[in-house]
Amino acid sequence: MTHGFAVDRAFATVAFKRRLAYKTQWLVALVLGGGAMLVSMAMWSNLIGSGSLSGYDWDSMRAYLIIGFVTATVVFGGADWHIADRILDGHIAIDLTKPVDFQRARAAEYIGSMASTVPTVVIGVVGAWLLFDPPGPVSPTAGLLTAVSFVLIFPLAFGIMYLSVLVCFWTKRYLGIMWLREALLGFFSGMMIPLAFMPSWLQSIAWALPFPHFTTTPAAIYLGRVDTAGALGLIAAEAAWTVGLWFGGRFVFRHAVKKVTVHGG
Amino acid sequence: MRHVGGVYRRALVAQIRSITEYPADFWVMASAGVMWNLLQFAFLTVLFNAVPDVAGWDYHEMVLLSSLLAIAGGSTALFCDGVWSTGQMVLKGEIDYRITRPAPVVVQMATTHIGMQGFGEVGFGLVMFVYGWIGAGLGLAAVPVGVLALVCTAVIECALVTLFCSVNFWLKGPMSNFAFMFIDLQNSAMSMPLGLFPIGVKLVTLFVVPVAFVNFVPIAVLTGHMSGWWLIGTPVAAVLAVFAATVVYRFGLRSYDSAGN
Repeated sequence: MTHGFAVDRAFATVAFKRRLAYKTQWLVALVLGGGAMLVSMAMWSNLIGSGSLSGYDWDSMRAYLIIGFVTATVVFGGADWHIADRILDGHIAIDLTKPVDFQRARAAEYIGSMASTVPTVVIGVVGAWLLFDPPGPVSPTAGLLTAVSFVLIFPLAFGIMYLSVLVCFWTKRYLGIMWLREALLGFFSGMMIPLAFMPSWLQSIAWALPFPHFTTTPAAIYLGRVDTAGALGLIAAEAAWTVGLWFGGRFVFRHAVKKVTVHGG
Repeated sequence: MRHVGGVYRRALVAQIRSITEYPADFWVMASAGVMWNLLQFAFLTVLFNAVPDVAGWDYHEMVLLSSLLAIAGGSTALFCDGVWSTGQMVLKGEIDYRITRPAPVVVQMATTHIGMQGFGEVGFGLVMFVYGWIGAGLGLAAVPVGVLALVCTAVIECALVTLFCSVNFWLKGPMSNFAFMFIDLQNSAMSMPLGLFPIGVKLVTLFVVPVAFVNFVPIAVLTGHMSGWWLIGTPVAAVLAVFAATVVYRFGLRSYDSAGN
């Protein structure tokens, strides 16, 4: 079942407003993301000093960590619990009766909720810029392509989240699934440590997964570690993952939804 | 005291029985606990391929630091995970029922749930602890200090999480935001040597919220980064943290006015 963009916009707006209503969460996200960024700054400042490690000097590492803060805040700020709870508590049975595409409606809600992290991102980035004065993008084209790769993070994050949430059709709780996903994403995206530090076999595993596009891709483009053709290639790979995960989600949902029983019937 | 211990033990055993009803959830949660710490271990291994030390701490010492952090997190999940529900129960007035029962409310709250990820966290944390211990060249003579560190780690962490969750008696809300921020900041900062941070952070973590005694101080003493005298602070911090958590939780219960008032 398909529906119009007006419905998507309505779902996204409601999710956005719902998240903005909890202003304490802005502070929590800022403390968590900002705290992790400050610890990373302290560590890498101590390790790199005036030299460089695996191709990163202090200038590029500062920019890398701020990009990591931005992507982590957005990716971990989505309202995945809302979707998981509807599967776990059986409300999905009602969703299935509505004249909307379930996956598309959830995508609109999720992206709307991710957009609600923008105030946290803006405050965090302005603060980090004042404190650490990182370098700008290597060129205006790199800046533009970084923005494109960042925008693609929204549907890509939904694709990964949606597939993991569908596991709730077989489990009673979502917390462990979420932690597994976040752990893998945090490590293989390069949020914990840039992929350039990893041995080549581990980098190969990482690049065979969608996760590097959450931090490594925008950072590589921003810092000029790839030329324009390379940047376009990375963006194409990111877009391909987005499309692949979308249809993967459809495929899994068709099988998973058979687990739904209404009043034991 | 024996009665309280009995209630606590029986409630935990009941929770473990209920876990066995949902094996898929148990394995997902335990795997998640292992995965977080496996990736922390991988992070350290990757990092130390590029650098010889972090603020004077070598690879095995850093593994020890992370291992105690994993065991601390796992301990709270296994021994007092229910305190995370304090905020929700205050909002819904669900503490009424627990006040009427003949056992301390905090004990009843602590045992309303078990975090199954704790099995993975404590299990893999112990593996990392032994690996770091052997790699750091610590012998059998230091085992009593290691055991003291493990016990105090669990006690301090459980007490501090209980303390931060009890904030919800006053700042009402379903989420334990203070406890959540405490855990997250602790995981970020305390997996690193304190020498990386400004003096203010050192003072706060040693003397205000004694989170440094969870992992940093015992490992720093064991590996010779701090004088042996600092070890006395670990059990002292454990006793003080338990005292503070008990007193604050009790004050919280006094201000509890059930739902709808």
